[in-house]
Amino acid sequence: MPSPIIQVHGVTKQYQRGGETLTVLDKLDLEMAEGGYYALMGPSGSGKTTLLNLIGGLDHADSGELIVAGEDLTSLNGNDLAAWRAETVGFVFQGFNLLPVLTAVKNVELPLLLTPLSARQRREQALRALELVGLADRANHRPKQLSGGQEQRVAIARALATDPKIILADEPTGDLDRVSAGQVLDLLGRLNEEFKKTILMVTHDPIAAARSRSIVHLDKGKLGSIEHNRPLETAAARS
Amino acid sequence: MPFGLIWHNLRRHWLRSALTIGSLGIALFLITALRALVNSLEAGVRGAAGNRIVVGSDVSLWVQLPTSYQAKIAQIEGVEKLIKWQWFGAYYQTSADLFAQWAVDKDVLFDVYPEMKLVAGSMDEFLVRRDACLVGIELAKTYGWKPGDTIPLLGNTYPRADGGAWQFYCAGVYEARLPVDNRSMFFDYAYLEQAGEAGETMYWPGCMLYVARTAEGADQEAVIQAIDRLYENGPYKTKTQPESEFNRQFVTMVGNIPALMAAIGGAVSFAIVMAALNTMLMAARERTRDLGIMKALGFTDGTAFALMLVESFAIAAAGGLIGVGTALATESAIAFQLSANLFPGYEITPDMIMGAVAAAIAIGLVAGIVPAWRASRLRAVEAIRAGA
Ligand SMILES: Nc1ncnc2c1ncn2[C@@H]1O[C@H](COP(=O)(O)OP(=O)(O)O)[C@@H](O)[C@H]1O
Ligand SMILES: [Mg+2]
Repeated sequence: MPSPIIQVHGVTKQYQRGGETLTVLDKLDLEMAEGGYYALMGPSGSGKTTLLNLIGGLDHADSGELIVAGEDLTSLNGNDLAAWRAETVGFVFQGFNLLPVLTAVKNVELPLLLTPLSARQRREQALRALELVGLADRANHRPKQLSGGQEQRVAIARALATDPKIILADEPTGDLDRVSAGQVLDLLGRLNEEFKKTILMVTHDPIAAARSRSIVHLDKGKLGSIEHNRPLETAAARS
Repeated sequence: MPFGLIWHNLRRHWLRSALTIGSLGIALFLITALRALVNSLEAGVRGAAGNRIVVGSDVSLWVQLPTSYQAKIAQIEGVEKLIKWQWFGAYYQTSADLFAQWAVDKDVLFDVYPEMKLVAGSMDEFLVRRDACLVGIELAKTYGWKPGDTIPLLGNTYPRADGGAWQFYCAGVYEARLPVDNRSMFFDYAYLEQAGEAGETMYWPGCMLYVARTAEGADQEAVIQAIDRLYENGPYKTKTQPESEFNRQFVTMVGNIPALMAAIGGAVSFAIVMAALNTMLMAARERTRDLGIMKALGFTDGTAFALMLVESFAIAAAGGLIGVGTALATESAIAFQLSANLFPGYEITPDMIMGAVAAAIAIGLVAGIVPAWRASRLRAVEAIRAGA
């Protein structure tokens, strides 16, 4: 059994609000396996986004240990953490993911600027990613000219472009209609199955959660139950 | 570095970008032009020769003194050379082509004004030919005049009785330092006098100024008093002053207007710069969410800082370019207009260009540093939360 790609050990995160201390994550322990597809559920304000941001290296925990893709995140400073993010994780946020001034393909190219790729290689790779999400014909559209579902698919293409190990999605279908949400979930499923990406998706929606392999419940900063929809194939079975 | 993004950001709000750049351009042009104006006014005073005194009417510059005064003033002890200046007031081709023409005593012109040098043509021809004139190097450039050319001028102060143009023969081109203007023309007073006596034009034997070169070691104050005493009781009372004093008074007489303009222009430029700064700061706020996303993607704080600073510099640099470009493009037209109104020496110097460039850099820095600092401090988590 390989060591889990995401290891959260005794992680606490608190916010100060008007003299009061709000403990959002309370000595949380959680492990996620490489190649998994996890849905993170819980009531509003239960700390889902906070946890996702910690795992993605966007924020620092107050205490505890976070080892993601083999890197101890608590030991990395700002620039190293930025470089680690560029290489290791792809983010999809809820709505307004894209830079409005850039076309779809330029948005997808953006994280590739941090790689040593040439301009032509960047363009090719970005177009491949757009093709994968079925939006090659919208490459030169600006976000304003795209529907919400298309925007999210461009965001997925961007998260994919650098070929990261982990994809973190925070309510990616939260603002979408059923059909668009279905398309986004199809894509995430494909990324997990075909491209072996480890996916962690925050969601409110039980239908969305049902598409994952495992559902993690978070409540009041503590871990609730973990349900397994589908078992992760073993390394042996895969090959 | 994703500097292409800056271009996209500026283009997204192209009207705002254009207005900001345009107003910075205007402000920098104003600042540069006003500096050049003030500089030219001061240069006339600075360049004044210590051994020259100017005799004019006590009433006003535009009241003439009779030519009969010349012989008497020349006899005063300490007066070494004496020259008279008369405003000819004609124009070339159209009334917009106005420049200063002076009828002077051509044989002593270069003696009284050693700052004048002949750079083309022949001094002999100038002295021998009745209708000969010398033109300043800038004037010659403007109209492409060279020695040997005929210069037809339409009289305004001295219209010809036959309704035709005065025909001057260009004998040479001079170059001078201030207070002598490089956009003037000089010809012999005797030519005007003879034309007047021949009835070719209305003529009264007078001149605007006499300028005397005083002898070395002469008591200038005594010479001045001696001259003014000659005509204390008229018919035309004189007012004699050292050249530096005359130039200073001339500048302040009309020069209060430039000074006022400089003050107003300075205040206006300041207001424009402030407005542009405000726009730039507001525009920077819109980048918050974009920068948050970029940081999440792995761009560093340093990159965010550089992006905002370079965007601000790009706007300021474009404004500076427009400002300096306009100042240079309008230089000769403004110089020409000012010179025709007896304010010579308007010039955009490398110094002033450097000044405008420095001002543009300062504006870029001031407008960029705060947003750049904010951008580098910005936390991706908060930027994304705030926007969602
Ligand atoms: N920067 C912050 N300062 C103070 N409180 C915060 C901050 N960010 C989040 N919180 C609070 O932490 C709690 C958890 O937030 P979040 O992780 O966004 O929850 P969820 O995504 O599960 O809805 C909420 O009560 C929220 O108001
Ligand atoms: Mg949330």
